[in-house]
Parts: sequence; structure tokens; C-alpha cells
Amino acid sequence: MLHQGSPHRFRTFARSLAAALCLATLAVNPAVAQQKKISFLTWNISDQEELFKEWIAEFKKLRPDVDVEWLDKKGPEFPTYYQTQVIAGTPPDIINTQGGLWLEYAAAGGMVDLTPYMAKEADVRRRFNVDYLGNWTYEGKNYMLPFYISKTLLFYNKTMFKEAGLSGPPQSFDQMMDYAAKMSKGDKTGFMTLNFDWLYWPLFRMNGVELLTPDLKKASFNTPEAVKVLDALTKGTGNGGINKISWTGRWVEPNGAFAAGNVGMLHAHSPAFFFIRGQAPWINADTLGVTNVPGGWATPNSHGLGISKGSKHPDIAWEFLKMVTSEKWTEKFSARRKVLTGNIASDKTTLDKMKVDDPLAAAVLQTQLEQTDKLTGNWRLANDSRVKDAFYPEIQNAVLGRKTPAEAIKDAEVKVNRVLAR
Amino acid sequence: MSEAGTIQAPRTPGRRNVPRRAGAAGSKRRRELLLIWVFLVPSLLVFFLYRVLPLIWNLVLSFQQFSLFGVTRFTGFDHYVDMWNDEVFWITLKNTLIYMASAPVGIALALAVSLMVNSEVRGRNIYRTIVFLSYPLMTVAVGIIWRWLYDEKVGLFNFVLRSLHLIDKPLPFLQSFELALPAVLLANVWQILGFYMIILLAGLQNIPQNLYEAASIDGASGRQQFLRITLPLLRPAIFLAFVIGIMTSFTSFDLVYVMTQGGPSHSSELLINYIYRAAFELSRIDYAAALTVVQFLLLVVLTWLGNRLSGGDAGAVETD
Repeated sequence: MLHQGSPHRFRTFARSLAAALCLATLAVNPAVAQQKKISFLTWNISDQEELFKEWIAEFKKLRPDVDVEWLDKKGPEFPTYYQTQVIAGTPPDIINTQGGLWLEYAAAGGMVDLTPYMAKEADVRRRFNVDYLGNWTYEGKNYMLPFYISKTLLFYNKTMFKEAGLSGPPQSFDQMMDYAAKMSKGDKTGFMTLNFDWLYWPLFRMNGVELLTPDLKKASFNTPEAVKVLDALTKGTGNGGINKISWTGRWVEPNGAFAAGNVGMLHAHSPAFFFIRGQAPWINADTLGVTNVPGGWATPNSHGLGISKGSKHPDIAWEFLKMVTSEKWTEKFSARRKVLTGNIASDKTTLDKMKVDDPLAAAVLQTQLEQTDKLTGNWRLANDSRVKDAFYPEIQNAVLGRKTPAEAIKDAEVKVNRVLAR
Repeated sequence: MSEAGTIQAPRTPGRRNVPRRAGAAGSKRRRELLLIWVFLVPSLLVFFLYRVLPLIWNLVLSFQQFSLFGVTRFTGFDHYVDMWNDEVFWITLKNTLIYMASAPVGIALALAVSLMVNSEVRGRNIYRTIVFLSYPLMTVAVGIIWRWLYDEKVGLFNFVLRSLHLIDKPLPFLQSFELALPAVLLANVWQILGFYMIILLAGLQNIPQNLYEAASIDGASGRQQFLRITLPLLRPAIFLAFVIGIMTSFTSFDLVYVMTQGGPSHSSELLINYIYRAAFELSRIDYAAALTVVQFLLLVVLTWLGNRLSGGDAGAVETD
């Protein structure tokens, strides 16, 4: 009996000893016992590593009991990484998403509703531009805070405008198409647009076309106006007024083409400016003009910060969000990255400084705060990406000559309605 | 009672120790087997964890309505029915089969190049290096280079074609529904040509020279030698290149992604690109799983067909 029981007793003794040692360690060092950890995942902004380190250091001062881990993923890797982390049960506490991706997550119940937090702390809500903040609302709940904001605008090559005898930016869609045709010559084209994330939608919206019915249940774009717009875009693409890369390129190709100095107008969002300027020595205030498109409509493509539903410490994550979106930190971020953050006070300070240091960049960013009540292409659709995927290939079919505009619009309507009905 | 594993030999004086020897041999064999398994198990475990298990899970997922954040439920064949009615699936499947059909073209070209660089031509090592150089290049870099080559305004192809007065207007290679896929295919063939060449070159160099000498003495022409000696003896190398070509076609994600992103309007999109988009852009992981099952089955069928066409013993280990 003694021989049989001894190993068992020894194991019990060893376990008890280990447990006692752990407890003793925790009792001596309560910080170890209460140490928590949150992580935040950013979207392709690894160049701001120094800033994020400063954030973490500052937060450590506020909450010594919390460790913060930062991760960054490039755009195409982001959903892959985040979704696998969600499946594994270890989603990053805070995520930074671009465009409409947050909607898919929020609609599926994967994001923390920040409305109660903002209701408790109204001063936090008041920090932000209402129109931009409103972009992250789904079914009346706010799921994200602005990280850095952007919307589409019109860049124009003043030299090409002069050569074509044009005095200033176009005032209507028809004029824009007319200008584009006038500047098209040899290797030069008059107009180009970015096409991802509904960035081309203002071209339709400025002509009164609505994508969906107000209840977002059905397509409403099959109208004579939409066919007319698409017809104009098709003709423009056919006669060389509109560069074909508009409809097939994503980011590098259209911006690169504009940077080459061969394109009269570029419809893009504000980050494109810094990319283009980095490649185009010809760009200065005398050669590049910036303005809102006729009618003032623009598609936002901002970056937001939200909290994963799977976060074990949502309250701490909220504290972190509060800190990084404060005036102090948004101002630092704006200065480093030349972006606006949606924080009203710091954006004003940033613009005031920039008007002196870098007037052209200031002019670009100034457009981002104008007519923010005319944001479009930001429908609160849980299946936004699928609607986009149903609609856009038909636009390509028309502008690149496979279908007539009327056919393409009709087919797009069928496809979009099918997605909405699913 | 005899011991298990021993051989009961007749009790002749010369064979007195045979049972013991047989027992020792059996034990040695068991030890060898054990050793083989010890070496095999880690690899098999990794294979099981990273290949078999995901495959099984993928199959299960294809019958479910998967929710990233909520409850996953069984939906039977819904995704397969969806697929049947999905226009994009059929387009991408057709494109994948066309893409796959470029493998034989690439192999034929590589065979011609291999024959050239295998002959006594001067500077053949330089030619081999030049042809092979495209293969180790990063596919993304290849995609970007070719994208510029195809550019409508400043691309080299359009410049050459216009300079030779072969075309009046520049061709929008990557913006055209008809040209986008062939344009990507050409870039793919260019990149993989060097790899095919190495495989075929190795096969050519394994053909005994005396066969050609004997054939020459018998009066066989160069064409006859190629058809009766080179081609039949190159069969294993051609099969290997073919299988790799097919596999590459099915997984050639990056080149399409970089050059056209599958556009315009899905005209150059492959099944693998659609699977990626369905999972990570359209958030339809379950549907992507069903697409993957179809792709996997297609690959199995095609590999089996390839094996049958090559005589049915490809990959067999020769023991003599």
C-alpha cells in the first residue's frame, strides 16, 4: 500500500507546492497578478512605428497595469489576418480599418458598439467632425472613431489646362467630359478616376443618380440619368478623353499616370496627392490645381478605429482610443503624416500650420473639410462588398465596350437586386 | 511450439542455426521498420496537420453557413447550388482551363529551347542562363514589368507594333476583354519557360548517346530520331513538367492579381483568385470553401488523367 500510494502522494505534494509558490509570487507582486494586455492592429501604416511607440509609452503611464501590443498588416493581408485571428478566438482588441470593411464586421456582430461610451463621455464625441463620425454608424450605433479621414476631390494639371485653352476647373459633369476631350491628344488623356471602394460614385451622384432606395432594399439606379452618365463615360473612354486605366487600375497605375504629367484631371482621394507628389517633380502650386468635383459630392475613404467584440478588455481599449484620438496625439499624428484626423481642434491647428509650411498640401487637405454634408458611396450595407462586386463589373462592361450603357445598367440592376435579396 | 516469426527449416546438419538467424532477421526488419516510422512520423504529422486536416475542415465548411462572429449552421448543398448558378464561377473556371491549356504550349516551347541549348551551339551555357533567369524572378516583379510592357500609352509592345506599322491605334492589352487573359498567359509562359527547360534538359541529357549513334548508322533521319528516341524517352520529364504546369495554372494567383486583378469584368480572373476574393473580400468563407472543393476535385481528375496518358506508372519507384 505504501509503495502504491507514494508516487501519487508525491505528485499531490508537488502540485500543492507549485500552487503555493505561484500564490506567494502573486501576493508579493500584485502587479503581475493584475497585468493585462491589449493589442491594436493597424492597416498598412508601419511608417508610424515611432508614434505608436510613443502612444504605448504614454498609455503605460496612465495604466501601468496594461501592456499594449501593436501589429500592422498591409491592406490585402489585413482581412486575412484579422479573420483568422477571430476564428482562433484571439482578435486584436483594437482594429483600424479602411473604407467599408468595418461594416461587414459590425453587421455580423463583431464590433463593440461605441455609442454608450460616447453617451457617457460626450466631450469625446464632440471632438470629431460630425459628418465623418457619422460614417461609422450602422443601424443607429456608432462602431468606430476617426483615425484619419479622406474623401475624393479633383486634381487638375494646370499646364495641360492652359495648353487646351481652359481657364479653370469644370463646373458641371458635362463640362468635365468636354474638358477631358479637349485635353486628349496623342499620349495625353483628359480625365482619370480611382475606382475602388465606390470612389467613382460621385460621377453618378452629381447627376442625381441614387444607387439604392432609401430603405437600402432595392436598386434605384436604372434611370435615364444613369444611362446618360454611363454613356458619357463610355464615349469619353472611347475617344481617349478618359484614360482606360480609370476602369482597370487600382492605386499605383492611375496615380502614377497622373504623376507622369499626361493626364488633365484626376478624381481621387486626398492620400493620392502625397503619392503623386512623391513621383512628380513638376508638381507645385502653379502647376497643380485642387478643387471639389462639380456639385461637391465626394466618397469618403477614411480610416477608423474600433474595438473587436472578442476583446477581453473593451473598457481598456476604449481608454486607449480616447487617448489616441485626443487633440494632443491627433495633432502629432497629423504633423507627421500630413493627414487630417477628424478631430476638429487639431485639424484646424494642422491646417493653419500647413498653410505656411506647405500651402499646396494645405489646399488639398482643406477640401477634405469642405462640403462634408455631401458624402456619398457610403451606404450602410452589411454586404457592401458584394453589392460593389455585382455593380462594378457591369460598369466595366459598358465603358470598355462590351455592352451598351443601357444593357449594362439593366444587368447591374438585376445583379444588385439579387445580392440585396439574398 | 514454434516461436512466432521464425521459419521452421528442416533439421539438417548444415541448417542447424537457420531459425535463430530468421528470428534475428525478423527482429532487424522490425527495428528497421520502427526506424523508418520514427523518421516518417514527424513529416506525416506535419502533412496531416497542414494538408489533410485543413482539407477535411474545408470540406465540412463547404456544407455550412459560416459566420465569422456568430453561429455556424449546416446548409447542405446550398453553396454548390449557388455555384451552379454563379456566372462568375463559370467564367473563372473557363479561364482556369484556358490558363491550364497554356502549359502544353509552354512545354512545347521549352522543348524547342532545350533542344537548341542541348546541341553543340556556341555559348549554350549563356543561352541556358538567359532562358532560366526569368524563373527565379519574383512573380510580383514579373507582373509589374509586364504590366508596363503592355501599357497602352508607354508600353514597349505598343511602341514596337506601331513602329512596325502593324497597328494604327495602341492596343489596350490589359484593359481589353479579349486580350487581358492572353496577355497574362504570355507573361506566365515567359516566366515558367526556364523551369520547363531545366526539367527537359535534364531528361535530354539522360538519353544515352549510343541510341542516336545506332539510329544514325541505321539511317534514321533527325526527325525520326526525335520522334522515335527523344520524345519517348523524354516522356517522364514531359509528364513532370505537365503536372507542375497544371498545378501552377491552378495556383497562379499572384500574376493575375498584380497584372489585372482578374479584370476587366472577370475576363482574366482565375478560380484561385475568385476563391481568395470570395473569402477575404466578399466575406464568403463558406462559399470559398465550396469553390476550393471543386478546384481540388478538378486537380485530382486532371492529375489522374495525366498519369493515365503517360502510361499509368508516373512517379513509380524503380527498384532494380
